[in-house]
Amino acid sequence: MRVLLLRFGELYLKGNNRNVFESVLISNIKKALVGHDFKFEKTFGRYVISSYAEKEESVLIEKLCKVFGLYSLSPAFEVEAGVDTISSVVGEVDVSGKSFKVFVKRADKTFPISSMDFAKDLGEMLLNSYNDSFVDLYNPQVEIHVDIRMNKKAYVFTQSIKCQGGLPLGVSGKGLLLLSGGIDSPVAGYLVGKRGMEFECLHFHSYPYTSELARDKVLTLAKKMSAYVGKLKVHVVSFTKVQEAIHANCSPEFMITIMRRIMMRVAERLCQQNSLGAIITGESLGQVASQTMQSMTATGVVVKRTPIFRPCIAMDKEEIIKVANEIDTYQTSVLPYEDCCTVFLPKNPVIRPTIERCEREERKLDVDALVEECLNTEEIVEIG
Amino acid sequence: MIYLDNAATTKMFEKGAEIYKEYACHSFFNPSANYSQAIAIAKELDSARGVLFNKLGASKGQMIFTSGATESNNLAIMGGRRNGKWEYVFSMGEHPSVYNAGKELERQGFIVHFVGLQPNGQIDYRQLESVVNEKTRLISVMHVSNETGAINDLTLVDKIRKQHCPKALLHIDGVQAFCKLDFSVDDFSADFYTISAHKFHGPKGVGALYVRNINDIKPIVFGGGQEGGYRSGTENVGGIMAMKYAVESIDICKNFEKVCKLKEIMTAILSQNNVISIINDGNFSPYILSVSFAGVNGETLMRKLQDNGVVVGMGSACSAKKSGNRILESMGKVKEEIKSHIRISFNEFLSENEVENAGKIILQTYQELWEKVK
Repeated sequence: MRVLLLRFGELYLKGNNRNVFESVLISNIKKALVGHDFKFEKTFGRYVISSYAEKEESVLIEKLCKVFGLYSLSPAFEVEAGVDTISSVVGEVDVSGKSFKVFVKRADKTFPISSMDFAKDLGEMLLNSYNDSFVDLYNPQVEIHVDIRMNKKAYVFTQSIKCQGGLPLGVSGKGLLLLSGGIDSPVAGYLVGKRGMEFECLHFHSYPYTSELARDKVLTLAKKMSAYVGKLKVHVVSFTKVQEAIHANCSPEFMITIMRRIMMRVAERLCQQNSLGAIITGESLGQVASQTMQSMTATGVVVKRTPIFRPCIAMDKEEIIKVANEIDTYQTSVLPYEDCCTVFLPKNPVIRPTIERCEREERKLDVDALVEECLNTEEIVEIG
Repeated sequence: MIYLDNAATTKMFEKGAEIYKEYACHSFFNPSANYSQAIAIAKELDSARGVLFNKLGASKGQMIFTSGATESNNLAIMGGRRNGKWEYVFSMGEHPSVYNAGKELERQGFIVHFVGLQPNGQIDYRQLESVVNEKTRLISVMHVSNETGAINDLTLVDKIRKQHCPKALLHIDGVQAFCKLDFSVDDFSADFYTISAHKFHGPKGVGALYVRNINDIKPIVFGGGQEGGYRSGTENVGGIMAMKYAVESIDICKNFEKVCKLKEIMTAILSQNNVISIINDGNFSPYILSVSFAGVNGETLMRKLQDNGVVVGMGSACSAKKSGNRILESMGKVKEEIKSHIRISFNEFLSENEVENAGKIILQTYQELWEKVK
C-alpha cells in the first residue's frame, strides 16, 4: 500500500509541551488536507498518511510541504513486515544502470534477520536482477530505505522530501503583519509563520493616490501567503487623510517617519481590539531611510505594550527575494502599483530622526483624531 | 457617469449587439462549410468586406478580417517582413502592438529604425527622411496618435517613401482614425491599413487589415486556410457583421463637426486655468485631447475624477510607470508633464452639456487635488 511517512523536527525539543505541539501539528496537517480522503495514523514518532487516491499523491505532498512543523516526508510502500514481502517491494525499485545502497532499520528486534544481513541480502537480490547496477556505500544514486517497525509493518522508500521545518502554526500566538504590497512584508509573515505564529494582516491604502489595483495586489499576496498560514484576515485601512494632514502641516523630510509612527499606533490599537500579541513588519536594517536604527527607534517608541517583530531585519535584499520566490510572492510584489509609502515621498527623507523632533512635528497634528479616523475606515477582507 | 475614455474603447451600438446575437444564436453557421446556410454566411462576410473597403476609399486590394488591431498590426509587420538585409522603420509614437513587433524584428537581427516625434506629436519627417533608403522594406506610422490625437501627415510620409525607397511598403495603424476622419487610403498609397471595431462602436475582438497587394504578405498563423489562407481560423461572424453595421451607420463628416465642437468646449473650460497645458498645437484629431495638469499625478486625478463621475484615460502612461512614457518622452515632454498627463477622448453621442459639466468637474477636481498636494 502506498503511504506518506511524515517526520517532524523541533517538536523533539519541547519536553512537557510536546503533546500540545503535536496536537496542533496534527490538526494543521488535517486542515491542509481538507477535501481529500485519507487515513491519518500517529506511530513511533512519525505520522503515516494512507488510504488516499494515488493520483492525488503529488497534490498531498505539495500541501504537506507547506505545513510548518513538518521536517520531511517520504512516499513509501507499507507492507507486512516479512522477508518475502519486503524483498518483493525492494525488487520493484529500478536501479538499472545506477549505483545504490540499501539501508535497513529494525525497531522490531524480533525480525528474524539482523539489519546488516538483511541489507546485504536485499543488495545482492538487486545486483542479480540488474546486471548493470552496482553498490556504492558512500555516494549512491539511489538510496533504498527499509524501516521495520514494532507494529509488524515495514516501510520501503527511496525519497525524502524536505518540508518547511519550524514550529506548528499557532503554537507561538497570533500577531498583526503590516502588509504593504512590497517584497519584504510577505516574507516577514512567512518567517514568523514558520516559527509557529499565526497572524492577521493590516494594509494601509491611500486611495485615490494609490489605485484599487494596489489593494487587489495586497489581497493576492495574502492569498499566496494563505497557502502556508491558512485563512487570513486582512484589515484594510485608509491612510489618505493622515498623509494629506502630514503633507499639509509637517516638514516634508519627516513625512515617512511620522507616517510610520501613526501606522504603528493604528497597528497597536488593532492588536488590542483583536487580541493580537505582536506587530510584525518587513523592515530590514538600512534598506531605506525609514529602516535605519534611528528611524526604527523613532517609529517603534510609539508602541507601548506590544512587541515589534522584524524577522527580515538582518537579511540582505537578495536573501529576502530568494524566500519571496520560494513562497511565490515575488512576482506579485513587483507589480508596478504605487503603495501608500511612495505617495508624497519627500526628496530627502530624514535618515536619523530623533524622538524629540518627531514629537515636535506631531504637535502640528491631532494624532489621536487621525488614528481614530483611520480605524473608522477599517474594512475586513477574509482570505482563503 | 460621463465617459471620456473613448480612445480606449467605445460603447457598442445596441443594434450591433442585436446583430451579433442574431449571428450567434440563429445564423450561427460556419462560413467555411458547404451547405447553403453556411455559404450564405460567407457571402455576408464578403459584403462586410466590401463595406469596410468602400469606407477606406480603396481602389484596389483586399480586406482580411482579424481579431483586432494587435493581430492586424502583427500580420502587416511580421507577415510583411522578408528575409535578407532589409530594414524596417517605425515611429516612436506607435502603439505597443506595432512598437513591440518592431522590437521583435530587432531581436531577430533585422535593422530597425525608430524615428522620434516632433513636439506636436507627429513623426519627425526629417529624421524619417534620413533613415529610409533603398533597403527599407516597411515603414509603419500610425494615422492618429492614441496618446495625443496628433494626426501624422501621411501624404508627406508617402512622398518621402516614393522619393527614397519606392519599393518600401507603408503600413498605417488607423485604429484612432478609421470611421473618425474623412480620408482614402489611396491618398497616401497605404499598402496596409489596420482597423479595430471597438474603437467605433463595434464589438471587441474583431478588426481587419487592408492589404493593397496580397503578394506583399505571408500568413503568420496557419490552419484551415480561411481569409484566403492569410488568416486561418473561423471568422468571428457576429463580430464582423456588427462591425459592418457600425461602419455603415457612422457619418464621419457629421460626427467630426460635432466632436470638434465638444473638444472646443472642453478646451475652453480647461484653458481657464493657465497651469493646465493642452497639447493642441498642430493637426489633431478632435476625438482626443491630451492634457497635463501641473503639480498633480495624472493617475490620482483620474481616480478622483472617477469618484466625481467623470471617466478619463491615461493613454499608455499608467503602464509605463517603470520606463516612463515613450511617446510623451519622444515629444520632449519633461517628467513632471508626463506624470501629470491624462487623456480625454470623446464620442459623437456626448452632448455639449455633458462635456461642459465634465469640463467643470475636471477643473474643480484638479483644483481641489492641487490644494492638497501643493
